[in-house]
Amino acid sequence: MRKQTLALSLALALPAAALLANDLLDPALLTRPPVDSWPTHHGDYSGRRFSPLKQIDAANVKNLSLAWVYRANTSQAGAVVGGEGPDTPPGGGGMAMFGGLQIKSTPLLVNGVLYFTAPDHVWAVDARTGRELWHYYWRTKGGIHIGNRGVGMYGNWLYFLTPDNYFVSLEAATGKERWHHEIASVRREYFSTAAPIVVRNHVILGVGGDSLDVPGWLESRDPVTGEVQWKWYTTPRKGEPGAESWPDEYSAAHGGGMPWLPGTYDPETNLYYFGTGNPNPVLAGQSRAGDNLYTCSIVALDVDTGKKAWHYQATPHDTHDWDAAQVPILIDGEIGGKPRKLIAQANRNGHFFLLDRTNGRHILTEPMVETLNWHQGLNRNGQPVWNPAKDASVPGTLVMPTTDGVTNWPPPSFSPDTGLFYVGTVESASVFYLTDTDPRPQGWGAAERRVASLNSSLKAIDYRTGKVRWSRPLARHGGGAAGGPMGLLSTAGGLLFGNDGGGNFVAYDAATGQPLWRAGLATNTTNGPQTFLLDGRQYVVVGAGDSLYAFSLQ
Amino acid sequence: MRLTSATSAAAVLAAALHAHAQHPPVPPPAPPEQRPAAPANAPVRVGGGERPLFDPAAVERGREILVARCGFCHGTNGRGGAGGSDLTRSPIVQEDEGGRQLGAFLKVGRPEKSMPKFDLPDQEVADLATFLHATIHAVSNRRDYQILDIVVGDPKAGAAFFQGAGGCAGCHSAERDLKGVGAKYEPVALQQRMLLPRGGPRPGAPRRGFSPYTDPNAVKATVALAEGPVTGALVRLTDFDVTLYDPAAEQMRSFLRKDGQPAVTLSDPLQAHVDLLRRWTDKDMHDVTAYLVSLK
Repeated sequence: MRKQTLALSLALALPAAALLANDLLDPALLTRPPVDSWPTHHGDYSGRRFSPLKQIDAANVKNLSLAWVYRANTSQAGAVVGGEGPDTPPGGGGMAMFGGLQIKSTPLLVNGVLYFTAPDHVWAVDARTGRELWHYYWRTKGGIHIGNRGVGMYGNWLYFLTPDNYFVSLEAATGKERWHHEIASVRREYFSTAAPIVVRNHVILGVGGDSLDVPGWLESRDPVTGEVQWKWYTTPRKGEPGAESWPDEYSAAHGGGMPWLPGTYDPETNLYYFGTGNPNPVLAGQSRAGDNLYTCSIVALDVDTGKKAWHYQATPHDTHDWDAAQVPILIDGEIGGKPRKLIAQANRNGHFFLLDRTNGRHILTEPMVETLNWHQGLNRNGQPVWNPAKDASVPGTLVMPTTDGVTNWPPPSFSPDTGLFYVGTVESASVFYLTDTDPRPQGWGAAERRVASLNSSLKAIDYRTGKVRWSRPLARHGGGAAGGPMGLLSTAGGLLFGNDGGGNFVAYDAATGQPLWRAGLATNTTNGPQTFLLDGRQYVVVGAGDSLYAFSLQ
Repeated sequence: MRLTSATSAAAVLAAALHAHAQHPPVPPPAPPEQRPAAPANAPVRVGGGERPLFDPAAVERGREILVARCGFCHGTNGRGGAGGSDLTRSPIVQEDEGGRQLGAFLKVGRPEKSMPKFDLPDQEVADLATFLHATIHAVSNRRDYQILDIVVGDPKAGAAFFQGAGGCAGCHSAERDLKGVGAKYEPVALQQRMLLPRGGPRPGAPRRGFSPYTDPNAVKATVALAEGPVTGALVRLTDFDVTLYDPAAEQMRSFLRKDGQPAVTLSDPLQAHVDLLRRWTDKDMHDVTAYLVSLK
């Protein structure tokens, strides 16, 4: 009930242009749990990736069957073509470097059409039939084509980012380009992967790229013109609070902190919540003594002004590439019998964090695995204490986990029905070799050699205690553990959709972790699964490699 | 044009670096197995070293120009010095294409910040730009970072750990299987094999070259069947199936599973190595590395 009231007040505050009756997307949808649409990256602003749908449930999921498959079409022929690059893509950095095309975006579903992306590509696909409606092809100037998280939508318009850092808007009905703006320089090794998040008349974007000690920022742009509304640097400028956590202005201005994943939003606090990236230089910390604010932090910004309300740093003075970009999920829950507005994150550094999202105050920190060997316990604010002995060294430092961390970008899920936070994890080890012994190192400053992937599991964490309620081992092969971090979706049908690390798309019992159904896709799912009701039928849609699969009860 | 192609090649390599920063489960195509480590000042090469990415002569000329004309303020490696900024982090340099923007800047300088103008011939500007771009490329291309001398441990302490606390002598001997091992592998590869001798270490990526069909150290699986157990190298185990390779029969066997049946028991021939991963101190690791390196 409260949510609907919120939606109404939000709608009243909207500019008139967004309220035209023939708009494809009613912005009020973004504030409600998704039912017959999936109008924003996480389904709604909360980041829970929980669906109230229960047509598919634990009892009938065994009858879930393939509705259609869409294999990504990357041909320029027949596509709407845009972009500033040459006819033939410049050599290198392309998707072939990253195992070929991988659908890492969570499709939006609006009025029966799915909108999703891969680097340089946007597709509109009929959700009933799986047939392509249009394909937009971006001619790239280059950049790192590692992945793209998807589109944002406002009225009749779509927004996405390209590896060469263009902010592009399309007409949703046709794929025709409205305009594009360059937001960062590809020559400085910036690259963009985030899905834009639309909040009222703000389109919120973050940049990526940590090869060259460049500054990171989050910015808001106007949905009509694409012009900048505000810009927030993830490290303090001269004289700003937090500057004391760096040796000097110069190191802070070259301190990285890329907010490369989409965040979450609470209309009541009017705060946008997101995680910042790792500091630069990445693995060699000798030129950046201090905590290095606001890298590796969960940050809350006023969505209208871009002013910081609070921050919580999950890894002070990170030296292992463990950014805090993972989705911070909003939970309306109870702690000690009192209702609380909470925010939870399963962090790449191996810990689960729970905070008060109105003020950023720490509530609890718990390790998600037992093999972390890199810190000296937690301080009284629940932050892992930096252990200099576990920094990269010339003769090698054995660190658990690897730079990939215990978990990573694939979106986790929270079910209000079970009270469980679901996340895919891996336990691993690497040796970190310091290669740049200069007092002013650059770039990464150290080399990593991976030793082992020991265990991988799907975990369900009780948000009130941070303790693991159940943990299900994932696939193994002759060399060790397979899989780990994965996109997840929980539903009111008592289901949790994810993968098993072994190429199966799986429906687990959300309460117990027992696998109830699987589809052998031969490759692990590569995005966050999503679900919606269309013509009275519940679909579950997931990407695995270059294909999008839709399932429904037959 | 040369610098344009250099930039795109830089993107290739930089891309490789980021593959794992963001997405662990997908190993990209591997770089050449044993890329020769380049000296810090060597021209950067790509594709296994067939073709220099930056003209080595131009890089060297550029370095000399930097030392002679810029080094006093910007340091002899360009990373900054007495009052001068770090040129390799300069947006003007990073955005530069073939010396065009750099040359235009040098003609004017930045007098308000005591940066005088320099009237360099176009060729010298191009060489200077080549040196700076090669330096920047070496920074952004972390796969080619050169690991330094890792043999700093105490071989005697390493031998003691090997014989004692490490439990290595339970399976290994310097006189038998490890005889001459220090001559067989480079120190980094030796250290990696010491930690877990399965597959080959690969920079910044899961180990490559591992195959359950050929690696004697593959995890073994035993599947409990009514007609008797079947054992082989584990290819894949999930809740829904198990696949293994039976080397005696030279054949693959796969079985569907449901509710944990048929039961599968795993056995890792490297369990002692896996257990030790949780126990190594870095000093022990360096000492045993030094000990193994000494077994020439």
